[in-house]
Amino acid sequence: MSWETVIGLEIHVQLSTDSKLFSGGSTSFGAEPNTHVDLIDLGLPGVLPVANRGAFHKAIRFGLATNAEINQTSTFDRKNYFYPDLPKGYQITQMALPIVGKGSIKIEVEGQEKIINITRAHLEEDAGKSIHDLFDGETGVDLNRAGTPLLEIVSEPEISNAKEAVAYFKAIRQIVTFLDICDGNMAQGSMRCDVNVSVKKSDAGELGTRAEIKNINSFKFIEKAINFEIDRQIRILEAGDSVIQETRLYDSVKNETRSMRSKEEANDYRYFPCPDLLPVVISDEELIEIKNNLPELPDEKEKRYVKEFDLDSSEAKIIASSKTMANMFEGACAKTDDSKLVANWLVGDISALLNKENIDIDESNLTSENFAALIERISDKTISGKIAKSVLEEIWETGSDVDDIIESKGLVQIQDESLLETIAQKVIDNNPSQVDAFKGGKDKLFGFFVGQVMKETQGKANPQSVNEILKRLLS
Amino acid sequence: MDKKTVSTIAYLSRLSLNEENEDKITEDLKNIIKFVDQLDGADTNNIEPLANPLEKTAKTRTDNVTAKNRKEVFLERSPKSNEDYFLVPRVVE
Amino acid sequence: MSIQYKSIKELKNMLNDKDISHTELVQETFLNIKNNSALNAFITLNEEESLKKAVNLDNTPSSGSLAGIPIAQKDLFCTKDLKTTCGSNMLSNFIPPYSATVIENLENAGCISVGKTNMDEFAMGSSNETSFYGNVGNPWGENLVPGGSSGGSAAAVAAGIVPAASGTDTGGSIRQPASLCGISGLKPTYGRISRWGMIAFASSLDQAGPMARTAEDCALLLNEMCSHDEKDTTSIDEVIPDFTENLNSSIQGLKIGLVKEFDLSKLDNDVVQVFEESKKHYESLGAEFIEISLPNISLSVPTYYVVAPAECSSNLSRFDGVKFGKRCDNPKDLEELYIKTRSEGFGDEVKRRILIGSYVLSAGFYDAYYKKAQQVRRLIKNDFDSAFKSVDIIMSPTTRGAAFDAGSKGDDPIQMYLEDLFTIPANLAGLPAMSIPNGMIDNKPIGLQLIGNFLDESRLLQAAHNFQISTDWHLKTPSGNKS
Repeated sequence: MSWETVIGLEIHVQLSTDSKLFSGGSTSFGAEPNTHVDLIDLGLPGVLPVANRGAFHKAIRFGLATNAEINQTSTFDRKNYFYPDLPKGYQITQMALPIVGKGSIKIEVEGQEKIINITRAHLEEDAGKSIHDLFDGETGVDLNRAGTPLLEIVSEPEISNAKEAVAYFKAIRQIVTFLDICDGNMAQGSMRCDVNVSVKKSDAGELGTRAEIKNINSFKFIEKAINFEIDRQIRILEAGDSVIQETRLYDSVKNETRSMRSKEEANDYRYFPCPDLLPVVISDEELIEIKNNLPELPDEKEKRYVKEFDLDSSEAKIIASSKTMANMFEGACAKTDDSKLVANWLVGDISALLNKENIDIDESNLTSENFAALIERISDKTISGKIAKSVLEEIWETGSDVDDIIESKGLVQIQDESLLETIAQKVIDNNPSQVDAFKGGKDKLFGFFVGQVMKETQGKANPQSVNEILKRLLS
Repeated sequence: MDKKTVSTIAYLSRLSLNEENEDKITEDLKNIIKFVDQLDGADTNNIEPLANPLEKTAKTRTDNVTAKNRKEVFLERSPKSNEDYFLVPRVVE
Repeated sequence: MSIQYKSIKELKNMLNDKDISHTELVQETFLNIKNNSALNAFITLNEEESLKKAVNLDNTPSSGSLAGIPIAQKDLFCTKDLKTTCGSNMLSNFIPPYSATVIENLENAGCISVGKTNMDEFAMGSSNETSFYGNVGNPWGENLVPGGSSGGSAAAVAAGIVPAASGTDTGGSIRQPASLCGISGLKPTYGRISRWGMIAFASSLDQAGPMARTAEDCALLLNEMCSHDEKDTTSIDEVIPDFTENLNSSIQGLKIGLVKEFDLSKLDNDVVQVFEESKKHYESLGAEFIEISLPNISLSVPTYYVVAPAECSSNLSRFDGVKFGKRCDNPKDLEELYIKTRSEGFGDEVKRRILIGSYVLSAGFYDAYYKKAQQVRRLIKNDFDSAFKSVDIIMSPTTRGAAFDAGSKGDDPIQMYLEDLFTIPANLAGLPAMSIPNGMIDNKPIGLQLIGNFLDESRLLQAAHNFQISTDWHLKTPSGNKS
């Protein structure tokens, strides 16, 4: 008598083209309201759409990376409904013949691999933004985003639980960032997802009625929303009632989903072929060129890092799994030779800082220049590894130049052997009882002497030199 | 084409029919639909629908930004706006 | 020297011969407009700008092919900084921030846009009785309709106020008013003239075109109006011929098709007689008539009345009171904003077509209506393609009769729709077609329709011009024959 969950995800990916899907308006994020609006985006009477070929190329990259059918001839349809941020009163989308057909993607959940099939991926234009809480009794409409190209990726209903859903979302995010078709910035809304959830008894043949939870843009919320919804539906069905097919919104504050639209008949979108847009044809030559120029995907990167940079596979996997981290790694390795050191720092200290602040590496002050410079200064022994940690923290805070930091804080490693010897000797002379104890067999006290020398030198002494000198002097 | 259908269609189109014209329009629509029902008689087996009389494919644009900022021009033509936004009555989601 | 009823060609000669200055020409035009204000042909006049242009031309002559020629522009074309209403209350305050390509093309050739002409609201109508700005009159008789939707443009040319006007034709809106007003009007092949800036009614059917006193003038205008426009991906990218080049070539051996299914016996005797006379005339010019069959043509009007409303129901959704145009007063919420704005902003015919359009696209009806209509549309186009294998052009009356009285089509929209019986097929197939005056019935003009093959406007114009240099129907004016 157990319940099975059936989940399908529709992920909207904002393509990183410079201009919009049907106009030359800019797609860059964060502009002043209504400053990136072209006549066409506004839907003024008499304007006409012209399709952006670059958006097609990006969509095709996705298709190729997911082994999908590419429809070299695809068409556009109109989806008709009224909303203030939908200027034309219809959205141009691809219903009948999308650019990308069936494909698949591999996900990993708790060590288990699973293939999730993708039904289709199509191009459509994004709507503008409605701002509800800035103006008393009114809603403000900003059309900057109107017309931005979206790739809507529709999965087969083959996802069985919230964790798989998150893994699928992450896998899609990884692919689109690696393909350079989307910046993957969830906070900016570059990726949003609608989740379709239904439950059924394990022995039931038919699928249950599904509810659609719209517009979730964080991994955490996807998981919570799905789990809440599963419980909600099970409770309804166990009480003998039916689940209503409807659209719901996830409220992250209350951790619940609630019904969104009141009039179901309002959802007749009356799709029909857009008469202003003729079919778009992608030639065989174009397809081959896109294939040949496909950016490297995580699996390929991982293999290459192991081979070319001699990394061990677990490090390679971590670095290769994030586009921004991979870019940082490759950028730094182009500027400094010690790739293994680069890798260690990325996987170690830098990852820790990123996790602590919950940011992506390209939101930090670290650049491949200053990172490489840091590694260089460790390699050439200007600073020790330990000092480098504080230099890293300084870079993290301020983005300052590595050499400037070292100089202003006087962090240059003390390499002068005679100076170190003098200090070491001083420490030994000042601590006779510890010397006796050490010589008497308490080996652990070696650390004490090292510590004292470090204290005297504000941590700047070259650790290896200190070790050698103390070993010699204490023998 | 009964009153309920007309009222649904009217809502979809965001049009209201008042008592004066509701009956007339319902009657008109009934007649127009009856008129176009003639199409039923045509044999359209295996015929591809014609969406646009030009038997050609689309010209597309290269991906580059060509639009300028025309915020003032647009907002001054709007029925209601402030310096930055078009304004509509508060939408409750 | 009076400028009334002069053609573009005649005005150009007058200007070249310095019989009249540019300034005088424009001044007299505006005088004529005002003297004929009862026609209600214009919604907005562009007097100040027009005079400025004229003065400039007098100071610095231009070699543009239309330099200084006053032209009336249908109020469906966006004209930068000049109010553009589409005959609707919805756009009664709309000042476009840009101009339609066709307007720019005409103005680049030097023409002076003297004003925006009245029209059926959003181009929906065949009598110019649906405009928010009042009916347009027909110079041929009080209380007669000028036809529609380009009624204002047709009346202005027919009254001799301007030598030419721009029009648009979705189901016959250039040709039908041309017929009822006794002037020449041409709808080119779909895609010849850019639709950028043309407020859309039915996107796969709309085309702009010239309306003038002669086929020759239509050719002159067509030369300037046509262009391949990157901003309109449905605009044709083919060589644009000089449409005036072969006008005078003989039409000996021209094969003219007569459509069996049009069954002219159903028309009034006098209409049939006028048509037969024209047929005889063409035979005397060396043309040969061949009967052709367009088996699906009788389904043209129902097909049109599914496709056009469907497209318009979507095209007109942008009129929502949010970003431009009218908004209702004090809407209490978003729903009221939409419903009240649109219900107040649109007239009844527009509402009817939006409702039909939404209906035929709605879930459950799409296949039976919209898809079916698009399939029949292909059948109709195929019929034409076959016919043009054996004929060069096709001929028919443009309209079932001459101008009718305003209000006489009563309350039945279908009666009005049947006015476009002969003209609709060319729009469905995307083919060029024109109307030229070819007779009088009860002192009212009537027109002859010529339909050409894809991109074959030159042949149409040639056939029309040959007719006009050997007849004088196009020279008749409401105040008697032109001297």
